[in-house]
Amino acid sequence: MQPSRLHWKRGRTAEQAGGTCTVEWIGCDEGGKPIARVVRIMGPLYADWRRYLAVALDREARIIELRPPAPEGAEWLAYVGNRVVGRAAWPLQAVRRVEAALAMM
Amino acid sequence: MSRTPLERIRNIGITAHIDAGKTTTTERILYYTGVSYKIGEVHEGTTTTDYMEQERERGITITSAAVTCEWKNHRINIIDTPGHIDFNIEVNRSLRVLDGAVFIIEGVAGVQPQSETNWRLADRYNVPRIIFINKLDRVGADFFRACNSLREKLDIVPLPLQLPIGIEDSFRGVVDLVEMKGIVWEGGELGAKYHDIEIPEELKEQAKEYRQNLLDTALSVDDAAMEEYFEKGDVSVATLKRCIKAGTLSGAFRPVLCGSAFKNKGVQPLLDAVVDYLPSPVDVPGIKVAAAEGEDEASERRRIKADPNAPFVGLAFKIINDKYGTLTFVRVYAGTLHSGDTVLNTTKGHKERIGRMFQMHADKRAEIKEVSAGDIAAFVGLKDTATGDTLASPEDPVVLERMAFPVPVIDISVEPKTKEAIEKMSIGLQKLAAEDPSLRLRTDQETGQIILSGMGELHLEIIIDRLKREYGVEANIGAPQVAYRETITRTHTETYTHKKQTGGAGQFAEVKITFEPLERNGGVVFENLVVGGAVPKEYIPAVEKGIRSQAETGVLAGFPTVDFKASLIDGKYHDVDSSALAFEIAAKACFREGMKKAGPIILEPIMDVEITVPQDHVGDVVGDLNRRRGMIQSQESAGSTVIVRAHVPLKEMFGYISDLRSMTKGRASFTMQFHHYDPVPRNIADEILAKSA
Repeated sequence: MQPSRLHWKRGRTAEQAGGTCTVEWIGCDEGGKPIARVVRIMGPLYADWRRYLAVALDREARIIELRPPAPEGAEWLAYVGNRVVGRAAWPLQAVRRVEAALAMM
Repeated sequence: MSRTPLERIRNIGITAHIDAGKTTTTERILYYTGVSYKIGEVHEGTTTTDYMEQERERGITITSAAVTCEWKNHRINIIDTPGHIDFNIEVNRSLRVLDGAVFIIEGVAGVQPQSETNWRLADRYNVPRIIFINKLDRVGADFFRACNSLREKLDIVPLPLQLPIGIEDSFRGVVDLVEMKGIVWEGGELGAKYHDIEIPEELKEQAKEYRQNLLDTALSVDDAAMEEYFEKGDVSVATLKRCIKAGTLSGAFRPVLCGSAFKNKGVQPLLDAVVDYLPSPVDVPGIKVAAAEGEDEASERRRIKADPNAPFVGLAFKIINDKYGTLTFVRVYAGTLHSGDTVLNTTKGHKERIGRMFQMHADKRAEIKEVSAGDIAAFVGLKDTATGDTLASPEDPVVLERMAFPVPVIDISVEPKTKEAIEKMSIGLQKLAAEDPSLRLRTDQETGQIILSGMGELHLEIIIDRLKREYGVEANIGAPQVAYRETITRTHTETYTHKKQTGGAGQFAEVKITFEPLERNGGVVFENLVVGGAVPKEYIPAVEKGIRSQAETGVLAGFPTVDFKASLIDGKYHDVDSSALAFEIAAKACFREGMKKAGPIILEPIMDVEITVPQDHVGDVVGDLNRRRGMIQSQESAGSTVIVRAHVPLKEMFGYISDLRSMTKGRASFTMQFHHYDPVPRNIADEILAKSA
């Protein structure tokens, strides 16, 4: 297995039963510039007097509603820039989707 | 006893569907850990944990047995549990007091009904568990199909830590995905000798794929491990094991190992996994104290952490009566206790003096002078402690959450063959009922017969057999009867006045009660809605008592009435002639009158039946199930056999095994367990009513 081509660092975290866990990993290039993200889909979430079944937060933490909600076993979204390049069950799988997408670009 | 540091203790249970290989696996564990010098076999009646005569004769486990062994500097206390649903109480109480469990799944059939039931029980008690897919040497075994059945039937994320090398008669070892190596067992030495090999060429690609799946899944529970992976492209074995343990404890995924215990393959890595991934007493959050009266069951409550220096807290989870007296099995959660100490039974509110204490090894016992947090031991000398009672230090008299016991579904009447044996039988049955909370004993008010209620025909058969062997009582038994229930289908309000004022001390009470149906398993609920003192407070308990006692005898055919709510909404009393007794009588009569008008029906137990049948007999079996009012739930192929699942009324299942054998020339087998209560069809209800009349 090859070390990742991007430098991945922890992004946003969320409180869970077992403590705090990372729900976003940010992939940075050699210069430290964030170019990709993997984000855990959350939901249901109550905000702005509405109930969102499945949401992902964008870079500015704005709510992006996902319709239809992610199928079971695909709770992580892989982004390059603002474009979704894949979905995965686990963050590492989502990271590989990102890296595969980058390799194709 | 507890000289081993707490971090190096594992209290685990081994549980599975009947015949999946629990006792066989336990035997190998005892042999490889040096406790036994030879391997006992179930079919030869020579195993350590099946020590009862009935267990050895029938080749099944009836009672759970505790054994202790050492592996890699850890002490492992193991409870081997029965697989047959009739003895599910043993699994229930064992899971309640264990810190972890090994679920054994049969490699041919995958997840079977009893595994599902036990899995849900382990969910209830939050028991971390690992899975061992056994019998991979059998014809039709398929590791991957068994893994899929885990995902589909248990709704979990199975995480294979191993892959089989070979399958069926060519099964010879496993690929260890954590350390990326092969392990194979040599033929001799009963599997005690094994060695590492390189992963076989034909499995390398598959191993790589499953190793990546292992990393993807396991590392997701630990951010630091993810960072290590990003940096190096892999993680150390220690990091990976740490992640697997964390995920096992949280239930994020369930590690899966494989082997063939009977062929002596795969058991040592299973022991390694017990040590590496199942929790020690200090790894678990601690046992919850019971909810206070009126407190919400789901509320956050204090937990008792494993600490030998804290005040003593233990839970009695099993009682055995033998020729030496009563042995009470206790799981110690906190504190340290010495023989001769006195503790408080906080459930019942009285003191108990501890006589002698033993570490149990199946039916053998070794006396010990001290127990402390994390231990499981048997106490002698407790006078009035029942299964589920808490024993605690008077310094901190906590009560732990009680255990839930299953509802019996079969009744039989029992009477001694001679008049002289009446007293002996009564004592024997009471002792057996004290040991086994899933066995109920009552006297039929109309016939005066003693009625035994249990979990199935086998359960009651064993009880009668024990009565004969252990208490010397020969008994005549009636045919098994279905434990029907009654309930209501609509709401009705009834007023009843009980009045006897014809000279002398009179009786007067009037009650107005609304009876309304509840959902299944709603039980009997009583509510007092009286305002303004229409019924004085001191008489309310008498009304409730009247309702509950009359509910024992339903209005249709005398079966217990369940799943209804009785709300006392109004009433009248007399200053002189009213009494608690008058209100109790009025409530009973109100129940009898009211229930008749509330659409009473009879409920019958419906069983979840699983039949494993060769393909050429499936048509006969399914047709027969339809004749028995069965509803087919599914049919799945597993090699050359088909697994048929159906819901069938218990009434239609008496004696099924002999019919099934003759239908399939003895090639099919079945298991069944209680699923739910359903209303009986009209024609069957008429039959039941005619019989009771």
